[in-house]
Amino acid sequence: MSHVGTIKQFVIEEFLPDVTAQELADDHDLLSDGVIDSLGVLKLIAWVEDRFEVAIGDADLDPNNFRSVAAIDAFIAGARRPEVAGS
Amino acid sequence: MIRWNADQAELREGLARWGEALSAGHIEQDEQATFSWDKWQLIRETGILQLPFDERWGGLGQSLLTTMYLLEGLGEHCRDSGLSFSVTTTMASTGVPVEKFGTDGQKERYLTRICSGEMIGAHAITEAEGGSDAMAMTTRAVRDGDQFVLDGSKIFVSNGPVADVFVVYARTHPDGGPLGVTAFLVDRDTPGLTIGKPTKKMGLRTSPLSELFFDECRIPRTQVLGRVGGGFIVLDYVMKREILFSFIVNVGEMQHRLDRCLDYAKTRRSFGKPIGSYQSVANKIVDTKIRLETARKWLYDTGERLAAGENVTVDLAIAKLVTSEANVETSLIAVQIFGGHGYMTEYGLEKDVRNAVAGTIYSGTTEIQYNRIASMLGLGK
Repeated sequence: MSHVGTIKQFVIEEFLPDVTAQELADDHDLLSDGVIDSLGVLKLIAWVEDRFEVAIGDADLDPNNFRSVAAIDAFIAGARRPEVAGS
Repeated sequence: MIRWNADQAELREGLARWGEALSAGHIEQDEQATFSWDKWQLIRETGILQLPFDERWGGLGQSLLTTMYLLEGLGEHCRDSGLSFSVTTTMASTGVPVEKFGTDGQKERYLTRICSGEMIGAHAITEAEGGSDAMAMTTRAVRDGDQFVLDGSKIFVSNGPVADVFVVYARTHPDGGPLGVTAFLVDRDTPGLTIGKPTKKMGLRTSPLSELFFDECRIPRTQVLGRVGGGFIVLDYVMKREILFSFIVNVGEMQHRLDRCLDYAKTRRSFGKPIGSYQSVANKIVDTKIRLETARKWLYDTGERLAAGENVTVDLAIAKLVTSEANVETSLIAVQIFGGHGYMTEYGLEKDVRNAVAGTIYSGTTEIQYNRIASMLGLGK
C-alpha cells in the first residue's frame, strides 16, 4: 500500500507551505535541496516512527531512505513488510 | 516557582563552601588567560561533574533540575566563569551524549572518567566556512573497513587545549543533508589529530579554546557515538542540555552581581545619601532583578518541560535569548552602578561584561535563536 499522499501532505504542511501536492514531485530531493534541515529531519523521523509504527534502527538512518517522498514510502513499505508477513 | 527540598538545599549549601577556593586568583588568571589545573582538581572534589549521571558509571544520579540548581550555585559562588564554562562544556559535550547514546564500552571508558574529572571533554562542531550553519560542515569521515578516516578542521573548540576526548561531528555522506553527519569519540592522542594553540578571545579566558585539524585521522568504527548518520540527533540532544547547563550558571552569576550591587548601593554614599536612595540607581537594580528572575523562570520552566518529555524547541530558544541578553545588560548595569570602580579590572565587573557577550554567541547565536523561533511560527519558509 502506497503512503505517498500522506507523506507528501506531511512534507508540504511542515516544510513547504507554499507548494501544492501536484508541484512536489515524488522524487524531489528533500535533503540536498535543503527542504528538510537538521531540526526538520528529527521531526520527520519521529513522525514516520509514530504514524506508521516503524522502529527506525541504526542501519535505517541512511539518508537515501529519507531523500524523497518516494524514498520514504519505499522505506516504510520495507520496514513494515516483516510485521505484515508475520501477522 | 520550584520549591527545592531539604536534600537539594543541602547539596547547594555544600557547594557554596567551595566558592572562595574556586574563585581564588580569578582576575589574575583571566588576565593571563590560564586554565587552572589546581582549580580543576577542586572541581573534581566538589563532585559537581558527577551530578546528572547514573551511579553505575560513577555519577550521583541527580535529576536535570537538581543538576541545574547546583550549577546555578556554581555560578553564584565561583567567580571564575571560564572554569564554570569548562565544567558545563565537559558535562554537556561529552558526558551527556555518551550516557544517552554510548555503548557500555564507551561509558566504561569515557563516562566514568568524565564523572571523576579525570577526563576533560569537548565537542567539535563549528567550521571556519560554515559558522552557525552546522549543516554546511565539510569535515568528512570516509568509511574504510572497520575504520573511518577523518579529514578537515574545526574552530572554536572550547576546552580544546586541555581536553582528553572530543566529540567530533563529521560528514559521512556527501549529500545526505542532516542525515549525512555522524558523531565520533576521538581521543586526544589519536594519530592525525592536531590541536591548535589556544586562541585569544574577549572573555571566558580561563576556559581555553582552539582549533582542531584532522589529517587522515583513523577512528575505529567502535568510536561512533550513536548511529552512523545520526549526528544531528546526538547534537540536538546535547544542545538542549548545554543551553540549560551553561545558562543556569549565568543566572547564578547574575544573582551574585545583584547581591553585590545591592550591598554597594546601600553603603556607598554620594551627596550625603546612599546611592541606592536615588531612583536612577534603584531602577537599574530593579531592572537587574527583573531580568534575573525572568531568565531563572524561563530556564527552570524549560528544564521541567524537557524532563517531562515535551517539545521545548521554542522555549529553549527563548530561554537562551532571554538569559544571554539579560546577562549582558545586567553586567553593564553593575559596571555603571560601581562607576569608576566598576570600570577597573580589579573589581572583576568589567570581566563579567566580556564573559557575558560570549553567551550571545555560543550554543547558537542570538540571531540563530530568532530564526529558530520564526521558523517554528511558520515564518521564513
